[in-house]
Amino acid sequence: MADAIVAVEGLSKHFGPVLAVDDFSFTVERSQVWGLLGPNGAGKTTTLRILMGLERPSRGNVRLFDAPVTPSCPQLVRVGAMVEQAAFVPHLSGLTNLRLWWEANGARFADADLDGALAVAALGDAIHRKVRTYSQGMKQRLGFARLLLGRPELLVLDEPTNGLDPGEIREIRELIGRLTLQGATVLLSSHHLTEVEQVCSDVLVMNHGRLVASGTVSELIGAGSSVYVEVDDRERAYTVLSALPTVAGVLLQGDGLLVDLRDGRRSDLANALVGAGLRLETISANQNLEDAFLGLLDGDRVVS
Amino acid sequence: MISLVRTEFAKALRRGRTLAIGLALVGLPSLIVFAIHARGNGRGGDNGEGLFRLAHQSGLLVPAAVLEAMSAFLLIVIAGSIAGDIIAGDAASGNLRYLLMRPVRRGRLLVAKAFVAGTLIWGCTILVTVTALVGGVLFFGAHPITVPGLAIGSLFGGFHLTVTTLLERLAIATAYVAFGYSALLALGTFFSTVTDVPAGAIGATIGVYVVSEILDGITQLGVIRYGFPTHYLAAWEPMFTQNRFPHDMLAGVAVQLAYVAVFLSAALVWFNRKDIRS
Ligand SMILES: Nc1ncnc2c1ncn2[C@@H]1O[C@H](COP(=O)(O)OP(=O)(O)O)[C@@H](O)[C@H]1O
Ligand SMILES: [Mg+2]
Repeated sequence: MADAIVAVEGLSKHFGPVLAVDDFSFTVERSQVWGLLGPNGAGKTTTLRILMGLERPSRGNVRLFDAPVTPSCPQLVRVGAMVEQAAFVPHLSGLTNLRLWWEANGARFADADLDGALAVAALGDAIHRKVRTYSQGMKQRLGFARLLLGRPELLVLDEPTNGLDPGEIREIRELIGRLTLQGATVLLSSHHLTEVEQVCSDVLVMNHGRLVASGTVSELIGAGSSVYVEVDDRERAYTVLSALPTVAGVLLQGDGLLVDLRDGRRSDLANALVGAGLRLETISANQNLEDAFLGLLDGDRVVS
Repeated sequence: MISLVRTEFAKALRRGRTLAIGLALVGLPSLIVFAIHARGNGRGGDNGEGLFRLAHQSGLLVPAAVLEAMSAFLLIVIAGSIAGDIIAGDAASGNLRYLLMRPVRRGRLLVAKAFVAGTLIWGCTILVTVTALVGGVLFFGAHPITVPGLAIGSLFGGFHLTVTTLLERLAIATAYVAFGYSALLALGTFFSTVTDVPAGAIGATIGVYVVSEILDGITQLGVIRYGFPTHYLAAWEPMFTQNRFPHDMLAGVAVQLAYVAVFLSAALVWFNRKDIRS
């Protein structure tokens, strides 16, 4: 715990009747790169807003660098954050935006390591143009430049590739990759499994405000050993499959079940189901990781 | 705090809108000066009433006439659009959350922004006076004035105002008009923290003033009118038309201060507690 940069405990947030975050807990330690994975509406942005002191939790404890998070708490200078899309004062140039933002709390622009940040943004002469004329991709890159000013210890990135075209998405992911190689501590939210896979070492899976699963990316997503099965009685099959020693986990997914076969064979699985009197309608390899991820979310239970 | 005021000023001054307001506040008083001049030249023409009638005597009275004409509506609209935008404008662009994550303390940001807006409003009022003064002196010269005993609007006997006196009172009038928008500024600041839509905050602020002016015209409402933010806005005019400092000016200052205390505190409390969702 001593090394926890982010410590969230029992966090809940209500919006009227909506429970956006529900008893959510996690920690991020130095140099870890965590993904916060969940579909739209899972509560990712709400969690990150609370972490950055923008919203107040309804319940729970949120700490950054071993101090409680309050609105505009001082330890936020050690965090570089992008919450939802990057946004700027539209009538000012990119560079003026960076300078006025940096100087707003009294710091000297000379101390901001501007060159490093500008190299990351790679905006060239466009840095002198009004932000109003930027594409969303350029704004996101300028957003990265801004959050890297002053070399923050923790990066909080909320769906940083949302709304970008494929070329821009690749650029941004490579950029995040380079930053993590340099030892940055990162908390990155996304609803793209591939993004989390490419960038993160650990992942928190969130749905309906709750933590569904957490662990290393390879643990959670598996090495592609899962199988998709459809049968006439899904509940019975669930019980049967869960009891098999060669099955590491079973999730309900769509109309069927997603089975994590540790080192068993598919034929063993089929035999077990048929032997239990179930009619096997489909059995197929599940190589699609996105599907596995969706299965993880759809399944109300996670068995392992 | 000083750095926040400085950065917020830099943002405000580089805005196209600020330039447009500045041009309007040079252009419109100039037009009014032309109009006063044109009317005065027409033989047997209409010389207007009150301050406008006196304005022919001396260019030093022209700014007072222009202030009278502009303070009741146009300056209110301008001050309202400056004040209502201060937080909501940044919220609408999405930049507010990045400022707060810098981190900048919410209370300080609010006060710095209100200070910058207040300074701009004073600047606008002063610009009106200075433009009208330059135009007035060019067209009518800088003369002392003599108001005969039976002049319209003069309850007392005639009086004489020297150039120095006129300039002094002009400065007081300008400051009083500018200060008279303090309640507007506080209201705008408050509305600006309540909504993330600048047009909403600006509309609400100007709306309160328009309603206040309408209700203020209904004398049957009695003493509660004295609490309206617009009630004492024109209390400075007798300095020129009647050669006296009305007590209403003090009452006007007190009412403005009361609004500032209430709505600025409300804005601070609200903004500090609010979830930033923009
Ligand atoms: N300001 C708000 N008012 C009401 N409901 C909200 C508000 N912000 C978020 N929500 C709700 O909270 C849930 C989580 O939203 P969010 O944190 O934005 O999810 P994500 O970022 O994972 O897409 C959603 O159901 C959303 O509709
Ligand atoms: Mg989101």
